[in-house]
Order: sequence, then C-alpha cells, then structure tokens
Amino acid sequence: MTTILVVEDDKNQRLLYEQELKLEGYEVVTASDGKDALGKIQEQLPDLIVMDINMPKMDGIETMGKILGKNKEIPVIINTAYSNYKDNFMTWAADAYIVKSSDMLELKNTVKEVLAKKAKDS
Amino acid sequence: MEKTVNKIRKLLNKSKGMVLDDKLLGSLEEMCEDLGSQLKKREVEAGNLSVKNEENEESKILEEQIQEEREIFDNVIEVMGAGLCLIDKNTKIIWANDTLKEWLNLNESPVGGHCSDIYHCDVVGTDKCPAELVLKGKKGHIVQSWVRTKAKKRMCIQHIAIPITNKNSNTDNILLLTVDVTENEKMVHRLLLLQQFGEITQGTLHLDKLLHLILTCITADYSFGFNRATLFLINKELNVLNGKLAIGPASSEEATRILKEMSDSHNSLTDIVDKLDYSHNIDTPLNTMTKLLVYSLADAKEVVTLCTKEMKPIIVKDAVKDPRVSNEFRKALGVNEFVCVPLIAKNEPIGVIVADNVYTAEPISDERVNTLTMFVNQASLAIENAETYKSLEDKIDQLTETQQRLIRSEKLAAIGSMSSYVAHEIRNPLVTIGGFAKTLSRFTFTDTKIKVNIDIIIEEVKHLEKILNNITDFAKPSKPEKIDVQLCEIMENTCLLMENYFQEKHITLQKKYETGVPEAPVDPTQIKQVFLNILMNAVESMPDGGKLDVKIKYIDGSVKIYIVDAGKGMKQDVLQNIYDPFFTTKPSGTGVGLSVSLKIIEDHGGTIDAISEQGKGTTMLLTLPIK
Repeated sequence: MTTILVVEDDKNQRLLYEQELKLEGYEVVTASDGKDALGKIQEQLPDLIVMDINMPKMDGIETMGKILGKNKEIPVIINTAYSNYKDNFMTWAADAYIVKSSDMLELKNTVKEVLAKKAKDS
Repeated sequence: MEKTVNKIRKLLNKSKGMVLDDKLLGSLEEMCEDLGSQLKKREVEAGNLSVKNEENEESKILEEQIQEEREIFDNVIEVMGAGLCLIDKNTKIIWANDTLKEWLNLNESPVGGHCSDIYHCDVVGTDKCPAELVLKGKKGHIVQSWVRTKAKKRMCIQHIAIPITNKNSNTDNILLLTVDVTENEKMVHRLLLLQQFGEITQGTLHLDKLLHLILTCITADYSFGFNRATLFLINKELNVLNGKLAIGPASSEEATRILKEMSDSHNSLTDIVDKLDYSHNIDTPLNTMTKLLVYSLADAKEVVTLCTKEMKPIIVKDAVKDPRVSNEFRKALGVNEFVCVPLIAKNEPIGVIVADNVYTAEPISDERVNTLTMFVNQASLAIENAETYKSLEDKIDQLTETQQRLIRSEKLAAIGSMSSYVAHEIRNPLVTIGGFAKTLSRFTFTDTKIKVNIDIIIEEVKHLEKILNNITDFAKPSKPEKIDVQLCEIMENTCLLMENYFQEKHITLQKKYETGVPEAPVDPTQIKQVFLNILMNAVESMPDGGKLDVKIKYIDGSVKIYIVDAGKGMKQDVLQNIYDPFFTTKPSGTGVGLSVSLKIIEDHGGTIDAISEQGKGTTMLLTLPIK
C-alpha cells in the first residue's frame, strides 16, 4: 500500500488531509512539524511527502533539504498558503508546488501524477 | 515798433515746442501790450494827420508804413504757430487768427459769437474760467483739452488768458492764447504708461498674457503708437532666437479702422488690460509667420540676433541698403524702416522686440526709441519674472506628481504586505472549513436542508478564496515578462473571450483599430488581465446594456487604447479613488481590479486616464509606450 506522509502544523488541517487521502485509498502518516517528520521518516520511509512550509521549530524548506539530503528519491509536494515561495529556488527541488485550497481536487490529482511519475522512473 | 516785433519773433522762435510757462507768457503779454498800444497810438496819429491834412504826403507815407507793419504783425502771428483770439469783457469774440480756426475746426468766422461756442471747455461760466479770472484782475490759469483739427488730427491744446489793458490800466479786452502741446502730452502719457505698466506687470505672472500686454502697449495708439510689434525670445537650450508673438493689423484697411476705433475711445492701460482678448490676434498671418522665425545665436548675422549680442537698440532706416538686415527678414517683416530693441534682464539678453510703422510710414524718431527702450527694459524684468515663475510652477507640479506617485506606491506597498499577511492567516482556517464542508457534502442526509446549508458554506468559502487570490496576486511583486506583441491582437483575444458575456448583457461592441499600430513590448498575460478588468468595469456600468467602443491608435511613440462606455459614469469623488486598493462601488467587487491594472500599466511605463461624466459614461485611456 502507498504511504503518504503529511507534514502540517495545523491540527484540523492535518485531520482533513488524513481523511481525504485515506478516502483515496492511501495509507496516511502525519507529522506536526519538521522535526516530527524527520523522526517519522526514520521509522518508516513513505512513498510521498505532502509538506507545509510555515511551521514552528523547523520549516518545510529546511525539512525538505534534510530529507532529500538522505533520500533523494522520495517525491515531495509542497502544499502552502503562500504563493510567493515559488520564487524561492529551494522550493524548486520539490516535485510540485500547490497553493492550499478548500478544494482538495488539485492536491489529489497532483499526488496521483507524482506517484505515477515515480513509478515510471523507477 | 519794429524792435518789439523782432523781440517777439526771437522769443517765439526760441520757445518753439516749449510748454507754456509763466515767464514766457509774461514777456509775451508785455510785448503784446506794448505792440497793441503802439499800434493804437500810431493809428490815432495817422487818423489825425489824414483828417488835418488830406493832401499831406507824410500821411500817405505813414499809412503805408502802418500797412506794412500790420502785414509784418499778421505774418508774425501766422508764423508763431499759436492760436490767438481776442474777446471783450462780455467774452464776445472780436477777432481770431487762422491757426485757431484751423485747430478748432471752425468753418465760419467766430467773430461776434461767444468764446464758449468755439472752445467747448468745461470751465465756462465757472470761476475757473481763465477769462473771468483775468477780468477780475487775477492770474488766469491754463486750461487743457483734446480737439480734432480740420486735418483730422487729434491734438492736445492749452489755453491761457492774457489781459489787454488800456491807458487807464483797465482791462478792456482779453487775448486767449492757444498752444499745441500734443507731443508733450504724449510724452507724459508714455512715462505714465511706464509707471502703470510696472504696476500691472507686477501682478501678471502668466507669460502669454504678459507678452500680449507688452506688445499691446507698444501698438496702442495713445501710448507708443507703433503700427506693429513683434517679439522674439531666446531659447537658451537650443541657443536660438524664437519668434513668439506679433501684434498689429494685417492690412492698412484694418489699420485705419483700428486707429479710428482707438482714437474714438481714449482707453487707459487698465482698460486695455481688462479688455485684452488673448485669442484675438493669435491666428493672424503675421503671428503665424512670426512663430516660424528662428535665428541661431551662434552666428549673429541677422539684425535681431545682432541686437541681442550688442544689447543696444538698432534703428534700421533703409532695410534694403542695410547690410545687417537679410532679405529673408526684410521680406518676412515687409517694411523698410523699423527698430529693434533688446530685452535685457539682469544684464543678460532674453529677446528682442521689433516695432515698425508699416501703415502710417511715420518715421521712427530717436526720442521715441528712447522711451520705448525704457519701457522694454521694464518689460524684460517682467518677462524674466514670469518665466521664473512658470519654471517654478512646473517644478512644483512635477514635485506634486512625484509625491503623489510616491504616496501611492508607499500605500500600495503597505497595503501589499499587510494584506498578504492577513490573507495567508485567513487562508489556512478557510481551507480547513471548506475542506471539511466538502467531506460532509459527500454524506447522504435525510434532511435535504443540511445538504443545501453545506453547499452554501462551500460556495461562500470559494468566494472568500477568490478574494484572497486577488489580494495575494496584488501583493506579489512580479516583474512583467515583456515581448513584442500587437496590442490589437491582445484586445481582439480578450473581446473574443468575453463575447458570450457581452451578448448576455446586451452590449454592442464597436472596435476600431488604426492600421499600422506597431508592436509594443508588453507582458501579454498581464495586459490581457488589464483589458479584462477594464472591459468588465465598462460592462458593469451598463446594467441595461448599451454601446461599448474600443479604439486603438498610435500617437507619438505610444499606443493609445480607448475604452468608451455609455454607462452610468462616475462622480468626481468616486473618480478620485478608483485606483485605491479595496475601493469599490460594486456589491460583490473586491476593489483590486483597477489598482492591479494601474500597477501593471505603470510597470510597463504607461499611464491610465479616466474621464467620466455622471450619466453619460466613462472613457478609460491606456497609454503604452512602444520603447
């Protein structure tokens, strides 16, 4: 089964993503900040990470840098309320960049696309 | 007796052109008295002699002598260039000379009439009448008035009464002496004009008005009375002398008409200033031609440039023979005699005034040039003042505009960062609300009301998100990615996109693209956004449909896009705020459309102008430079 790690500091949003992605048939692991995420990855390597940027302790960009430094092959989707991080070249390392929306369709589609691409590459 | 006549002659020759003064009058009076009494004495002697001895040879000789002397006397009176009139105690005219008849335009002999019949002075019957004063043994003072002579000349004359006493030193008759003081009067007028001009120009800082005023003063009949005046100003940047303004009649017919009008109404300078019609002379051929005259200051070959170099007036008596005058200039001016007076302010030449008498062909005297120079010096200072004022005004305008731009961009930046923060803070909970509402909507409910209510939540969240997107777009500083594109094409695409919308709203679209509009370097997506915003606004201003005009033209290196609606239009206070972020008059608007549009257009180096009249519609004009 495909495992997705959702890194999101907002408790309610974390719950929302968990519910929605489970409904799509994925196994969902959640982390509330960057540090938490690094720990979860050590426990179990996910197939895909959905990463928020603005988080306490360690932000999404730093976390992503640390994860990709160890496991280059894990795809990361940045899911943020800000569109201006697009200009930050650090975010270019991610496989996709989504601006948060109440409509989950874009997120779900992107997850599908990124996973398909990963399957094709390997 | 001859001695006395000679004395008078000498005195009169000396006093030609002088103003009446008491000393002169006194001695004249004395001599006239002397002459009068001598004549009378001789007449009596001669009479006695002829009665006593009719055959007496001596009496004949005496008579001849008297006749001769009378002739001399008449000649003297004629030459002296003064009007003379003898009246009795009852102010009845006994005798008047021809000069007076000429000046007062009298066709019949005034003898027998009253002095008031011919003099028309306003002191008749009052105690100021010189004749009355003299009769009472007082000193008669001078009365001045303007008359029109037989030769149709306007003349200023002065009268003085001189008592003629008999042996018993009683005043029998009064001699009224009249002198022409027109030239003096004109001189006084000119000096007065200088003073008046100084006062008025202090309050005139409008350059065009001032130039007009100066030339009007030079051409006004009662002041300098030149037929025409032309003004050149130095353009320091280009180092040339530019024709600026010319005033004067275009033909001799017009000249006569104006001269007549002018002399009929004796206007003062303030009258003229009040009545100045600045548009009147603008289109005359003379003025148009003047504006085309440009002379380089690098080579002072032309009389006008020479005049600025030397900073001295130049009188040209014969332009054909004068080496300083080029054929071109002479033909342009069309006159052989003229004067150039330099405009000098703070020891620097700023221009030249050229004046001539092309219609009356009156020679230009040195004395006239001198007063004109005085006048022009004062005018120069006034022009300098006005120019300084104008450049100051321009600078202030520039500053105000820059300041406003600065304030606006500061405001935008502040609003940008502020709204960006708020937007993101709101977006997160909104995602959660909307997202859960969506999950809920997938459940089936027995009560349909629940489903409807959830859908309302979803719709409202969507609307809020749309607003947030607009705001974050606005806050996001993005540089336009410019490529050369045809703006008509972008407009065409945008209109195509809105075709259905236009139909639905009953909008009749009229497009007019000028042929040959060049491509402009713009970001097509951004410009399309702008067109869309403005077209939307236009449509929304016409809820009942109507005509929408779109015009694209190429003028002076810029593409101009006119979007003209026949909608509600805007009030002035609304118009002032349309570019302010979050300002809106629409019930469901976000108020960022026009501010985003303005930002995009300004990023492209262009401008947006809105002209609106309430009830008639609005014209939005976009100007985009092609370089």
